[in-house]
Amino acid sequence: MVAVLLIVVPLGLAFAMPLFNFVSKHIAGYIPIAAMLCNLILSILLLPSVMENPQIVVLGGLSPPLGIHLVAGPLGVGLSGLISLVGLAVSIYAWGYIKQGAQDKYHALYLLLLSGATGAVLTGDLFNLFVFYEILCISSYALVAYLGDRNGVESAVKYLIQGSVGSGLILVGIAILYGMFGTLNMAQIAIHIKDVDSPAIFLALVFLVTGFGVEAAVFPLNAWLPDAHSTAPSSISAILSGIAIKVGIYAVARVLFTIFGVAAVFQYVLLLGLVTLLVGEICAFSQDNIKRMLAYSSVGQVGLIVFAICIATPDGVGAGLFQLVSHALSKAVLFLGVGYLVACSGSMSLSSLNGIGKRMPVVCFACVVAAFSLVGLPPFAGFAGKFLIIRAALAGKGIFFTVLIGIVLLATVVEGAYFFRMVQTLYFKDAKKQIEFKKTPASASIPILALVVLIVALGVYPDVLLPYLKSAAADLLNKAGYIKEVLG
Amino acid sequence: MIVGLYTMLTKKNLIKVIIGLSLFETGIHLLLVVVGYIQGATAPIFSKTTGSSAEMVDPTPQALVLTAIVIGVAILALALSLAIRLHEYYGTLNLRKIRELKW
Repeated sequence: MVAVLLIVVPLGLAFAMPLFNFVSKHIAGYIPIAAMLCNLILSILLLPSVMENPQIVVLGGLSPPLGIHLVAGPLGVGLSGLISLVGLAVSIYAWGYIKQGAQDKYHALYLLLLSGATGAVLTGDLFNLFVFYEILCISSYALVAYLGDRNGVESAVKYLIQGSVGSGLILVGIAILYGMFGTLNMAQIAIHIKDVDSPAIFLALVFLVTGFGVEAAVFPLNAWLPDAHSTAPSSISAILSGIAIKVGIYAVARVLFTIFGVAAVFQYVLLLGLVTLLVGEICAFSQDNIKRMLAYSSVGQVGLIVFAICIATPDGVGAGLFQLVSHALSKAVLFLGVGYLVACSGSMSLSSLNGIGKRMPVVCFACVVAAFSLVGLPPFAGFAGKFLIIRAALAGKGIFFTVLIGIVLLATVVEGAYFFRMVQTLYFKDAKKQIEFKKTPASASIPILALVVLIVALGVYPDVLLPYLKSAAADLLNKAGYIKEVLG
Repeated sequence: MIVGLYTMLTKKNLIKVIIGLSLFETGIHLLLVVVGYIQGATAPIFSKTTGSSAEMVDPTPQALVLTAIVIGVAILALALSLAIRLHEYYGTLNLRKIRELKW
């Protein structure tokens, strides 16, 4: 039953926020920190036991085929650990960063976003997945517009309209599946889907993948992402990039592998991932606005992760998940660090950050480490991720995959080019005007440095993570095992 | 549903786009209810006067629709409040004119 706490704690605290605010105005910033710390500890405690046999948590007293239930498998608990880790770092950062507006509402929405994300990765019920996904989406629409400035509101409207059309499509997909099978339980649908061979199933698959693909920002559904990520407060950009799109990827993968398991579709989604990678990296290259550049780089990385997961071998999925973890950590560091630099220099254009590296060595050093990790230089986590992906793809079939790997490496070169340009700007260009020097507050530097340490540690010892990823990949690929665990 | 989607894609006025969104959602809700409908069955309420459960429509889609309606209301409220802010900044709701952010 412990797995329920992962959702209940942040959700309950989010709704209790007005009460806490009634007691003291200064308490709001501490609550997300406490909630995420609690979640992180719970996830780490749960992980060894669910590695062996996943826990099925029945909610509402009806056993799995009828009621809603949570599946705390290695993948779900591992992802909720990642969510709470990044969430913890960002909430410490936000404690010092969010100084204007209704702070208690910011922290309440932030907790809602995280509980939506945690719920989505843990649930075993299709409609429940939709509901948690909506909690995540609606709170992120509101948080993008939190600052209430021109561009923030504009991008929030774009994000909202595209996102809600996406969730409408998910609902259509759910309606089709329910109409055919009379159940919403993912395992139950997965059992029966083999018996039916009709175009309606394909239709449902398309609706679901398109709907979840909007949040995962898979090309051509990525139009909202650069706007939303670049205009949101930096702490929110970090969480959107580090967590929200990962939940989208998880949902797409869950739908593809567990519910449908149609091998023929993987290749198309794989190509889609590849196109996403190329488009994202090339667009990132042409940006001058540094946060937009990072946002497009997220699009590219999503493409890479989708590509790796759709190789659909245990190695490929494991490599994709490794890249998912390393990207979540690196991109959180980059958005937090760059957000701080931008707040100091007052402009988002890359040229306004000329030579800032000499004045703010700590933050810039962290950004450089994270950037190198994303490009895939050893000894950082990104290197291990990309190495695993390429090894998994090479193990695949013949010349087709070799060509694809060539394209992936090409995209990496483009990625390297713009990140090195960023590093050059930070360190080797002379500042045009004197930027007022501020000492980095501990609330900004501690989470950033902690994540940097993790990036380096993962890069040097990737083996620590591998057994977990292997069982998480098995969780995703082993459809029969999943059905057996849920329905007993 | 298709009408709603068409409205969203073609109209320039943000309010009309939001109305389209609402139509789109209503269409999906109808689809969900239809999925659970059984010809000639009654509402799924158990009491002494009603018969067996075989004569009732499937209650699950109705529960789903209730949830979806609540979610739809939240999205609609948020969209309208954002539209108000957008009007404050730009003085127009014409989406062809609100385009500061591009590629």
